[in-house]
Amino acid sequence: MAQSFPYTYYSCDCYDSKAATVAAKRASAQLQPEEDEEGRTFDPRNPRSNYSLYPLEHLLYCQDCQQVRCPRCVIEETLNWFCPSCLFEVPSSVVKSDGNRCTRNCYNCPVCTSPMNVSSLEDPNDPSTSGGPWILSCPYCRWSTLETRIEFEKHTAITAQLSRIANGGKPILTAKERDKDREKRMEQDKRKSRDILSGSEDSPTGDQQKSDEVPSHDELFSNLAAFYKSQLAAQTPSNPFSPHDINFSSPSSFSRIMNLYSTTTSKKQKREKPTPMRETASTLEGLTIHDPSTDAAAIERIRKDGWSSTLSPTQKLAQPNPNIRFSSELRPVAALLCTKRGKRCRNCRHILSKPESKITSTRYKIKLLALNHIPRLSLRALEPPAAPGTPAPPPFDYSALKSGIPQHFVLQLANPLFDPIRVTLATPSTTPGKVQSRVTILCPQFEVGANTDVWDDALSSSVSPVKSGGASSSIEAGKIWDRGRNWTSVVIEVVPGFLRDLLAKEGEGEELDEDEDVLEIPVFVRLQWEADVNAEERGLGDSMGKKGEREKREEAFWTVVGVGRIVRL
Amino acid sequence: MSSQPAARPSADRRTSAIQKRVSILPKPSSMVIDPSVLIAQHAQLTGTHPITIGPNAVLHPHCKISSVQAPVVLGEGVVIYEKAKVGVGIGNADTESRRSSVVPSPGSRDSLRVDGTVLGRNVVIETSTVVEAAEIGEGSVVEVNAVIGQGCVIGRFCTISASSVLPPNTHLPDFTVVYGASERRIDYTTQARPELQEAKMMMHTKQIEIFKKLVPNNVTKWTS
Repeated sequence: MAQSFPYTYYSCDCYDSKAATVAAKRASAQLQPEEDEEGRTFDPRNPRSNYSLYPLEHLLYCQDCQQVRCPRCVIEETLNWFCPSCLFEVPSSVVKSDGNRCTRNCYNCPVCTSPMNVSSLEDPNDPSTSGGPWILSCPYCRWSTLETRIEFEKHTAITAQLSRIANGGKPILTAKERDKDREKRMEQDKRKSRDILSGSEDSPTGDQQKSDEVPSHDELFSNLAAFYKSQLAAQTPSNPFSPHDINFSSPSSFSRIMNLYSTTTSKKQKREKPTPMRETASTLEGLTIHDPSTDAAAIERIRKDGWSSTLSPTQKLAQPNPNIRFSSELRPVAALLCTKRGKRCRNCRHILSKPESKITSTRYKIKLLALNHIPRLSLRALEPPAAPGTPAPPPFDYSALKSGIPQHFVLQLANPLFDPIRVTLATPSTTPGKVQSRVTILCPQFEVGANTDVWDDALSSSVSPVKSGGASSSIEAGKIWDRGRNWTSVVIEVVPGFLRDLLAKEGEGEELDEDEDVLEIPVFVRLQWEADVNAEERGLGDSMGKKGEREKREEAFWTVVGVGRIVRL
Repeated sequence: MSSQPAARPSADRRTSAIQKRVSILPKPSSMVIDPSVLIAQHAQLTGTHPITIGPNAVLHPHCKISSVQAPVVLGEGVVIYEKAKVGVGIGNADTESRRSSVVPSPGSRDSLRVDGTVLGRNVVIETSTVVEAAEIGEGSVVEVNAVIGQGCVIGRFCTISASSVLPPNTHLPDFTVVYGASERRIDYTTQARPELQEAKMMMHTKQIEIFKKLVPNNVTKWTS
């Protein structure tokens, strides 16, 4: 609870209500008496309530269910994908095929993650026609692709160019070329082994050198993928009992089904196990043999280039291949795409919030906020008015409540609705938790005016019940403290509990938990008002519903008011 | 020009009140200012030790050069932006009055031995920085709001990125980039490519030319 005192959290009962219904369904026997469920007070210290309390600003409101909707009881749906760097929308088909990274020129620095620029390497004394070779460079930490010896010919289509250049400037083969190359080399290997068998010694130096260099991550993957594909293809037709063969009209499966039912033959030819797949046997098939010399080389490299040539875990994990170790293996990281999301009510699937689909716009088409439907509760300390002439007393310290000394607070409800509401507040007389504070709402039932136009109030010269200034009103049970156009405030008396008793008991194993000294008051709020029948509902029941018909509405929810911290005496 | 006592314009030429206020401050005993220097209005040069400013340097309005404790030398093409402060001891007044949280530099008595501040060719000191360094090498950039402690020696083509703080007596080799939470790395790109360095310097001279067109020059106030 990092928010500063005093605060108000609203409870969304989405989990509890669901659990209750499930329990009721599962056990038709009376597991819990209904009354118990109703009479239970909300405990803000319950571990579960941690997940149901939200500030009012975080909540949405479903007009159809007429309930608050918290982040747990909304469904999010992705409207579109876009790159946060170039603000271009990426179609979802491209996201599926190419992954969730920008395929334009948006790259982040692998060292410090700031967005990189395409900049020219042109020599000012010897300008080239095209503007010179280009590099990606980081404007913040000054890393550039030049450090991994990558230069680009054009300043556009960086992704396509980057995918063709390995670190060090060597070209990367495309998938097709790789396949062709692999086939060619396999052919060579076969011939060579035949040659060895026949006894004619060929000088293997050229090939030896080629196989010496460690294949790249991508190369390995494609080799492995090709190998297993060929293995699968080799096995499936030969094995009629393979689970891949789910073709009921084929004779093999037909015979298998027959076997299932005939008890005599089944045991005999039961299940010749499919021959296990051959493992990879050469580099061309994706086999990598750990070479201790690479480790030695790595150690030697650290010794020579120092610690700064190695990567931090964060830098490694951001890389496409997280197994690299040295800064010379870094690749620019393509920008991750972002999404725009709409939110729906989990119960009725109505849209609660929907942003405009245009990427550059930050506005919303639909946005049903709890702010506009639920009254806002706010608390502040009631301080005795300073006597004229004396300097103003220091502001009330919410983080130093004094145990046992009654303190008055003003609880104010502001009504966002366009109809006046009747409010009933309820709170347990002592707060739950180990530190028990006594709480009394002096006026638990009152009315709050409608959220009318600001000027209505000012223009209507009729005698309004609004009292001017709270100073004249007295703290009296059953009377509101103050009232305005669309707000009413009442007084709460709080006697903060004692921490001392607990400290005395600590020897018996009772220990003060973290934040146990925070004074939080659960307040149950019930609202009643008369509202115009919903436009949609009116449309539905057109035959019987007349325009201007009003219906009674009711709403009830728990809130938790954080008053402050009780100070140790 | 070198040892003129209290060079200042005569009272009748002064128009604004701010200039009057500036002129109350102690004047450097000797100032060597190249005639091609651009010193904007409201730039402040104070202190008793000599201040030397090389050709084509640019001092933006409200920057402060202080030679109260030690001499200051600005090389050719140095650009000092608004509210930047250069000179040994210039951050101290600040540290005591405003930023008590900044790590205090070793007592100012020790720092008196410092020989002054030397900014090399084409050094850029950006807005709101405090530079008390002993030396900054050619082509280095000190970005916005950075603080460079006393006795720092910074090499050529270094970049001190925004809001970095260099503790006193730091030595940075050439091409160092200080970024993030005092992380350092070597800018191999600029190091390996002299043509990039050259391009950078060319851009710098072009920028100075534009400054000379845009910013009214008030250098006569300090040279006459």
